[in-house]
Amino acid sequence: MIAAAAVVAVAAGAIGLGVWGVRLARTTSDLYVASRAITPWWNAAAISGEYLSAASFLGIAGLGMKLGASVLWLPVGFAAGYLALLFFVAAPLRRFGSYTIPDFAEARLSSPRVRVVAAGVVLTIGGFYLVPQLKGAGLTIGSVAGTPYWVGVVAVAALVALTVALGGMRGVTYVQAYQYWVKTFGIALPACLLLIYLGGLPERAALFGRELPRAPAGGLVVQLDSAQKVEFPESARYALDGRVFRASGGSERVLEGRLVLPAGTAVPVAEGGSVERGSEWSEPVERSGPASPVFVYSLLLATFLGTMGLPHILVRFYTNPDGSAARRTTVRVLGLLGLFYLFPAVYAALGRALTPELYVKGETDSVVLELPQAAWPGLGGELLAALTAAGAFAAFTSTSSGLLVSIAGTLSHDVRRGSAERPLERMRRFRWAAVAGMVVPAVIALMARGLDISVLVGWAFALAASTFCPLFLLGIWWRGLTARGAIAGMAAGGLVASTGIVATLLADPAPTVLGALLAQPAVLSVPVAFATMIGVSLLDRERPEGTEETMLALHGPEGLGLEALRARA
Amino acid sequence: MTGATTGRQSWTPREELAEGTPHGDVYLRRLIRSQLRLSLLALGAFGGLIGSLPLLFLLFPDLQGVAPLGVPLPVLILIAPLFPLIVVIGLLYQRRADSLDEAFRDVVSRE
Repeated sequence: MIAAAAVVAVAAGAIGLGVWGVRLARTTSDLYVASRAITPWWNAAAISGEYLSAASFLGIAGLGMKLGASVLWLPVGFAAGYLALLFFVAAPLRRFGSYTIPDFAEARLSSPRVRVVAAGVVLTIGGFYLVPQLKGAGLTIGSVAGTPYWVGVVAVAALVALTVALGGMRGVTYVQAYQYWVKTFGIALPACLLLIYLGGLPERAALFGRELPRAPAGGLVVQLDSAQKVEFPESARYALDGRVFRASGGSERVLEGRLVLPAGTAVPVAEGGSVERGSEWSEPVERSGPASPVFVYSLLLATFLGTMGLPHILVRFYTNPDGSAARRTTVRVLGLLGLFYLFPAVYAALGRALTPELYVKGETDSVVLELPQAAWPGLGGELLAALTAAGAFAAFTSTSSGLLVSIAGTLSHDVRRGSAERPLERMRRFRWAAVAGMVVPAVIALMARGLDISVLVGWAFALAASTFCPLFLLGIWWRGLTARGAIAGMAAGGLVASTGIVATLLADPAPTVLGALLAQPAVLSVPVAFATMIGVSLLDRERPEGTEETMLALHGPEGLGLEALRARA
Repeated sequence: MTGATTGRQSWTPREELAEGTPHGDVYLRRLIRSQLRLSLLALGAFGGLIGSLPLLFLLFPDLQGVAPLGVPLPVLILIAPLFPLIVVIGLLYQRRADSLDEAFRDVVSRE
């Protein structure tokens, strides 16, 4: 009840700020980009607010509880992505002044065809990224209101589609900055208070050493609503709906109903997870398996290079007044993200100790929501759970609105371009596009309940790193890039990345080096994309016209007085 | 300085740049190259640091046994000190990049 009130309060605060922001800045270019004179701190909080999604708020802790310390590379990569953006993209792109990635592609390469390809990639990445947000919505609303998974997915999809259709990006800077602080308090305060309340990490954590997670002193009761395949790590006696059974170590059973594990029983693990002892769980890198070096490096590469290619991120940089401000904003983003990412690991560790039933259900993604009440029964836990629920709500709504603005903008503006339309007509098309753009991701989210949030997001990053990252790096820093080269490179990189992703989804390959490459293809697909883009551009004679001026627009600092000179001439 | 000269010699760097003359292009190329060098240097510093960590953890498994505060050292490294370090690298880069831009502005506004 308290949690539901907190969610409503956060939503009301966001709507209130949105209305206030509309009053504050009412100019015509506001639909896509809010007013440009916003200080770097506001901007940085807004960028971080839009970036910290359900993957950061729920996914890192959930996957960390499931797979262990190897997941801690994810937040490092998520934050470091802004370092790559700072080094290569932030200032030049701000100076260039394109609002969206397709805009940049067309203006830099003077080719409408590149725009269409880029628009297609925006839709793919945006859709991929929306799915895990909606999954987070299903889990959170389910945990707060006790509704089935699909209710949360549908409700939040509708809510976000409606807000975007009605509001565009107006006033969103303030709303997103507010969402950042809601998320940071929502994850930090409960983490700190729980650690103080528990007096540090609990003893029966099985975090480190040879231990497995075990049922607590009073036994463990798990309600399995649907038939679930679980693996028993050790032989155990358990009761299902009151009847007592015996499972031998390493055996797999399909269970449904009320499962009771006596005190001290090693907790069985749902299909898709693996049984890990504390020593394995706490290793950031292992010789093989899902924490093998190939996988870790590939993940780091995908997140490091993929951030710049996320469609909802770049548009925020145009609210900086100039290139230098864009750099200053990015540095502040690094600080704000670093602050947030200190905390998800706390939930992963405490969750392994205090909510082992999530292993049985295969729902470790909801550990941030479930942990407070498990660790601190009573009002204290309830209040903290309200905070994490509100933070989660802020996480998936802010990211999905940002994504949907990009998707709807692309659908209405890039894919089908009408000539010289009236603004009213454009507005109407944007609204329909916002509704249409939400349908496919929502349907996929309804089917994707079993997939980990952070895994889905990792794929979106891999795709972005293999398509838009080379487009930006070469487009900004190399005069030789041509339209054909850009298209071929994006196609090659996107193809290699999606082959790996689809193969993993369909076949679930063994955890070998090949399996790691398929599951996290960036280490292969990024070089392929770069090589193709460079190779085809070198063979192509058809250089875009006006590259010199483009380079000046990208790299020439503001305040050179060139415009005045040209105007006089 | 040398009186009324005509033709290309008398153009200021700003005019060269605005008109896109070969001279102006040289200025611009020099700026881009120096910015790119800085970015690659920063990338190398950061990449070397982060990139060496997985190998380090793999080659020295004993680090896992070192556990201040009861948490293995590699886990602690991944949680806490990396983020401030990323900010410091970002800040150093930003200062340097802005001063390169500033220097370019000085060159261009020379009359």
